[in-house]
Amino acid sequence: MITDRLGKELLFFDGGMGTLLQEKGLAPGELPETWNMFRPEVIKEIHERYIEAGSDIVLTNTFGANALKFHADGCSLEEIVKTAVRLAKEAAAEADTVSTDSSGTRGEKRTVYTALDIGPTGKLLKPMGDLDFETAYEAFKEVMVWGEEAGADLIHIETMSDTYELKAAVLAAKENTSLPVFATAIFDERRKLLTGADVPSVIALLEGLRVDALGINCGMGPEQMLPVVEEYIKYSSLPVIVKPNAGLPKQIDGQTYYDVSPEEFSGFMEKIVSMGACVIGGCCGTTPEHIKAMTKRCRKSDIIRPSEKSDTIVSSYGQSVFLGNGSKIIGERINPTGKKKFKQALKDHDLEYILREGIAQQDSGAHILDVNVGLPDIDEISMMKETIQALQSVVNLPLQIDTVDAGAMEAALRIYNGKAMVNSVSGKQESMDKVFPLIQKYGGVVIGLTLDEEGIPGTAEGRVRIAERIISEAAKYGIKKKDIVIDALAMTISSEPDGAKVTLETLRRLRDELDVNTVLGVSNISFGLPARPVVNAAFYTMAMMNGLSAGIINPASEDMMKAWYAYHALMGLDANCETYINHYSNTQTANGGGTSSGTAQKTSASLKESIEKGLKEDAAVITEELSKTQEPLEIINAELIPALNHVGDGFEKGTVFLPQLLMSAEAAKSAFGILKDKMDKSGEVQEKIGTVVLATVKGDIHDIGKNIVKVLLENYSFDVIDLGKDVPPEQIVDTVLEKNVRLVGLSALMTTTVVSMEETIKLLREHAPQCKVMVGGAVLNQDYADMIGADFYGKDAMQSVRYAQGLFGC
Amino acid sequence: MTDRRMKEAVRYLGYGRNTADERTRMMIKDAFSEVEEAAGPKSICRIFDMEQDSDGRIMIGNISIESHRLSRNLRGCVKVVLFGATLGPGVDQLIRRTSLTDMSHAVIQQACAATILEEYCDKKQLELGDELEGEGLYLRPRFSPGYGDFDIHYQKPLMQMLDCAKTIGLTMTDSYMMTPSKSVTAVIGASPVKERCPVAGCEACDKTDCEFRR
Repeated sequence: MITDRLGKELLFFDGGMGTLLQEKGLAPGELPETWNMFRPEVIKEIHERYIEAGSDIVLTNTFGANALKFHADGCSLEEIVKTAVRLAKEAAAEADTVSTDSSGTRGEKRTVYTALDIGPTGKLLKPMGDLDFETAYEAFKEVMVWGEEAGADLIHIETMSDTYELKAAVLAAKENTSLPVFATAIFDERRKLLTGADVPSVIALLEGLRVDALGINCGMGPEQMLPVVEEYIKYSSLPVIVKPNAGLPKQIDGQTYYDVSPEEFSGFMEKIVSMGACVIGGCCGTTPEHIKAMTKRCRKSDIIRPSEKSDTIVSSYGQSVFLGNGSKIIGERINPTGKKKFKQALKDHDLEYILREGIAQQDSGAHILDVNVGLPDIDEISMMKETIQALQSVVNLPLQIDTVDAGAMEAALRIYNGKAMVNSVSGKQESMDKVFPLIQKYGGVVIGLTLDEEGIPGTAEGRVRIAERIISEAAKYGIKKKDIVIDALAMTISSEPDGAKVTLETLRRLRDELDVNTVLGVSNISFGLPARPVVNAAFYTMAMMNGLSAGIINPASEDMMKAWYAYHALMGLDANCETYINHYSNTQTANGGGTSSGTAQKTSASLKESIEKGLKEDAAVITEELSKTQEPLEIINAELIPALNHVGDGFEKGTVFLPQLLMSAEAAKSAFGILKDKMDKSGEVQEKIGTVVLATVKGDIHDIGKNIVKVLLENYSFDVIDLGKDVPPEQIVDTVLEKNVRLVGLSALMTTTVVSMEETIKLLREHAPQCKVMVGGAVLNQDYADMIGADFYGKDAMQSVRYAQGLFGC
Repeated sequence: MTDRRMKEAVRYLGYGRNTADERTRMMIKDAFSEVEEAAGPKSICRIFDMEQDSDGRIMIGNISIESHRLSRNLRGCVKVVLFGATLGPGVDQLIRRTSLTDMSHAVIQQACAATILEEYCDKKQLELGDELEGEGLYLRPRFSPGYGDFDIHYQKPLMQMLDCAKTIGLTMTDSYMMTPSKSVTAVIGASPVKERCPVAGCEACDKTDCEFRR
């Protein structure tokens, strides 16, 4: 087994395949994998040359062989994959008997391993692209199963530029084969993946998924790769693979070439081994000559065995957060407990509300967001999945999956892009039996609550003992202490006079005796007391002083944030007090896009004026003021509607332009929000004019136009059901029928997606003939709209509003 | 910030020949820095031999393209540069995030992103043009699938030949939309005869009634 040698001796991969095939006549645009069938002798010869050059591992010619990328007439993908493995194995088997090592000594028997090469699908996964996580998973799965059947010794996933696709591939390998898994990603000179992840977040993800070795390939030459290699060695506890290109691609006379010579290449690779890499090879532009020079030069090098690193890292697709240096803020707001509006949002499936909570917490300074969507009467599993995916499309903070439902926990861990934080496991055997297998499989940093079958111990001693039990039980699953964060539990001092003292002592002992990270739901301490922020903030500071690694708090609370900033400045955790100074020296502009809002004139301007000028903050302040003396409906009719009409008319005449129209809409929206709250309280209802379903059609993922129409329609008192983007015709029809909707607005950006618009209209005519359809989008015009049978073509958002108004008779 | 930049963004926002008010200009300025912060521009180009038969059909490697407009654009060229560029997924994410909290801000970011992308492509094309002049080749204006009668479906082989998923992270959905969305693919002709300025976009387009026309 290769795993017996991995990390104990230096292992050599092979080098590039593409460049060699081009030399042999592979045409531009021709798929290299087809040569497994048509020119097998060429493929096999390349393997042989690499083995001769000293490679211990040869990669099958299957980089682009997956159902999403590989489309060639008359070629079965299965055959391509299995033949590729056979060719590599044949070459490897011959090496077993011929056995020549790079120094030329004959007769020594050598094992060469066949690695099934898995490259990316060439498509971007949702939410950035249109590929479903599970579709990617299935595409990888079938190739991997074929590869194992054909006798591959390991799976090498490489050149991945997106952590989500990387996760799909690793899961497919782990769940469907028993082969060792190597995984490498492609970084750029900013030391980031193309989709934004940094080195620690890739390592955290892959270690969590328990690959056997990880690293970097492609993208850069060996010299440019050095800083990335350094970071890999710093954070990885697993053997590190490094496979650079032979420099950066250059072109001469229309030919792409790489200019790092075999000698130079081997020199850098020797350095890379001395830095701590355990498996080395080459990628684009490297040839058997490069590999030969490399094996010759490095064969005798000593390797540095990988050592266990102790960093506690949680990650998202775009960033990693380290626990243990200062105290991190876990935003607690995405949680329905005690929040009427949030509960309603969950029931109404109002994801946007939840997303805005996430964005607001990030803007307030949260480092991690807790996500709890548990309500008795909703399907928590699907809600959790949807929320996680939606949040990860707009917020790049790591998330903390907070649920007591093991099903929801597993579903969330599976689709989460990164290494999540998990809330929580307790010292109860049943809880540990349920949660630890999930962490073992998907990775994650799990919160361990210091309570067990007997309840919550009243002493620090009791809580520390439970923490120890949690840590040792986790070890049975191979879950390391660095991936456990202990919740010392804050009990309200209103019923437990010593509650705070016990918690603080527990924190201290967890830090000093167990050297484990800690967490607290801080505000529990003041439950039942008046002026809770006073107590919370003081306790928060004390907890941080006693070692709190992360506090679960409300980052919108000024008092808590003051405590956080001050603590870090005071304790030398904020170099030159920079964060503190940045935050407090310009608090005036800290929340907002930095544009002048003109709040200075708030008392003199009228609501109508502030909406016409698009001054959001002013509109809110003035509305608040007005509503003390006037009825909401009166304000709407006397101020809001005239202002909107004024701006709308201006837009139609060409004196007001889109940004201003939308600024006014946003200002009106903030005023409406305040008035709606008042009306909700008094039980008053503002009549909605009618309901409109909006959707960007199937296959289309651009929704900015649709979102503009939505903002305006809402302004004009329409109830908008926004189905989002890439919406199948059936879903639109179902919604129309279910809610008995009279108007649908469809948006499509390109000629290729107008086809689905037409399809949607057809289906609507068939099942909901009473429903009118208005359409808009970049490629549409009146003729086109007529051709696909739409009732109305809206050249801009205002026209859609006017049409809707006409239709509903206002 | 350059005047041209501001002008372009204002044009994308539908102002036509009108100027934007001071507050909007401030917002545009801020949005330029936000988008630049979020962007990770990358580009790739590969040079191929090109042939044109008597019907104007264009042959590049394994693919043949039928497009009257492109054919006219490439007349007299001996090579073509296939070009791909993207601002990266960070910009899409930024605009998506802003859309949830402030649509006016989001449309401004969108316009700034389009401006920055065009600027970036122009810059890359000029650099490439300088390089190729050494070899006695002069570039034509870039021409993208989806323009005129250059069918959008050519985007697929074009992207394949550039291997741009791997090289710059640019991919395409099943309906030929580029992801990340702020991206460009194009064919740029290279001819031994110097003609006009290689960087022209808007003005060369047939759609003269376009409300966004420069």
